[in-house]
Amino acid sequence: MHPATEKLVSALTELSIPVEACNFEERGYHFEIDLEADKLRSLAECMLAQEMFLVFVGGLHVKPAIEIVYQFASFERACRLVVRVPVKADNTIPTISDIYQGANWHERETRDFYGVIFTSHPNLVPLILAEEDVDLKPLLKKDEDLKESAAVRWAPHPKSTSSLTLTAPVEEKPEAEKAEQG
Amino acid sequence: MGNLAENNALHADLEPATDIPNDNHYFLNMGPQHPSTHGVLRVLLEMDGEYIVEAQPVLGYGHRMQEKMGEHKNWMAFMPNTGRMDYAAALQYNHGYVGLYERLCQIEVPTRAEYIRVITSELNRIVSHHLWIGAMLLDMGAFTPILYTFDDREQVLDILEDVTGSRLTYCYFRVGGVCKDIDDKFVEKTRAFIKRQRERFDIYNKLVTGNIIFIKRTEGVGIISPDMARRYGVTGPVLRGSGIAYDVRKNEPYSVYPNFDFEIPVGANGDSYDRYLVRLEEIEQSLRIIEQALDQLPDGPFLGKVPKKMKMPTGDCSFAVEAARGELTYYMVSGGGDVPYRLKIRVPSYSNLSILQELCRGMLLSDLVAAMGSMDLVIPEIDR
Repeated sequence: MHPATEKLVSALTELSIPVEACNFEERGYHFEIDLEADKLRSLAECMLAQEMFLVFVGGLHVKPAIEIVYQFASFERACRLVVRVPVKADNTIPTISDIYQGANWHERETRDFYGVIFTSHPNLVPLILAEEDVDLKPLLKKDEDLKESAAVRWAPHPKSTSSLTLTAPVEEKPEAEKAEQG
Repeated sequence: MGNLAENNALHADLEPATDIPNDNHYFLNMGPQHPSTHGVLRVLLEMDGEYIVEAQPVLGYGHRMQEKMGEHKNWMAFMPNTGRMDYAAALQYNHGYVGLYERLCQIEVPTRAEYIRVITSELNRIVSHHLWIGAMLLDMGAFTPILYTFDDREQVLDILEDVTGSRLTYCYFRVGGVCKDIDDKFVEKTRAFIKRQRERFDIYNKLVTGNIIFIKRTEGVGIISPDMARRYGVTGPVLRGSGIAYDVRKNEPYSVYPNFDFEIPVGANGDSYDRYLVRLEEIEQSLRIIEQALDQLPDGPFLGKVPKKMKMPTGDCSFAVEAARGELTYYMVSGGGDVPYRLKIRVPSYSNLSILQELCRGMLLSDLVAAMGSMDLVIPEIDR
């Protein structure tokens, strides 16, 4: 592990934030963190102190609460982090736009799409959507499509299983279709 | 060219303009149809004479809710959407999207396909930079350069049209490879283009790089410090102009980029002129990559075996590529099935533009045109 990455992990552990390592080849990032909304701001401060930049902020509509996804990465080395934070019971979450100014627009966009209120945000007005669409919340799922948080979590699957589910039902079909076309 | 501290001092000199009482201020709408906002971006400017007090970008005029469409379409149906976000560098958007599925479902891609992807992506990067040089100079009142860069751009567009079937909004990559193989004619024409482009740099340098008017208008204008870039998540040539050599192709290598020898050009001062120099050098580096890729081009299939109906495992997956404007990240959350449960598209220009408010406090209006031009914004990408 890169020394700076080790430093980052130990800084997070000091804040008693649990960090879990991921397989980059499968997930596209190196660490994942599940966090309570209360600790979000101290995490963001830690990230800035460790010279990470904010890649994006996005939402994810799941049961029981909407989750806000933060991705951080490093300019200097391969180190990418995904942080998931469920919003509080009153549909709010603290802003980090005073720590990472780049979060300002991402948070406004997330409010547009999910209706989540970022407390203490300096300018939480519609960014991407028009002002009259302030209550549209287009990315909220319908009840029948809404899934449990656990149902969209990474299920560790051995490679053989994943290739099985991939090829089993359709293995012969393309061949047959090709023959028809030919 | 002064150092960063000096230039910042120069920038600070402009700020006293904000001290003048508010009743002298007036508001000015730049856009949404202003020629130098490249698409429908509106910047609401609070002005004090010729100086900008506050600039507030207003977005969303070209919003199409791509992320919602992403939740309702399988990968094949969404492919054309990817090319319609950043229409100037569509292949890199193709690349990120197919890469995401290949990573999540662990699909093998034939080596030849990866080489074809790299060659066409880099051609697309060159095309994008051609467009930018022409458009940026046009913003600043120089009409001639665009005639030269568009001449060169046409050469590449013809090459890409032959193989992809389109000239702008490409939909060429597929999960598992690309949809059409390249032939000897493609290789021959690409080699001819590389030779031609190298000769053209001389013209660019004479016409633009050393042009005293261009230098006066861009040097020391719109300085972005590395710290500011980090706080906003600025990436791409805009970041590299500030001296940080961050490039996803090197940092988190994907596809066959590790096979090539190329450099990441960086600037020294983080001003608009440096961003120009970085992009110009990136064209040369892309040419180097293409040259090596053509030399090493392996035989074999151009499309691997991929099931028609994709059954994805549950969980999330992220895939970042270096697009012409910076880091493009697709982040998918899958709940099984063949469409994503959630598709987040992180586009580079979004974070790059968000810096504008802080960047142009106390700036002259004419400098804003240069600073914004140097960011290489594509608004439909920001609005998605």
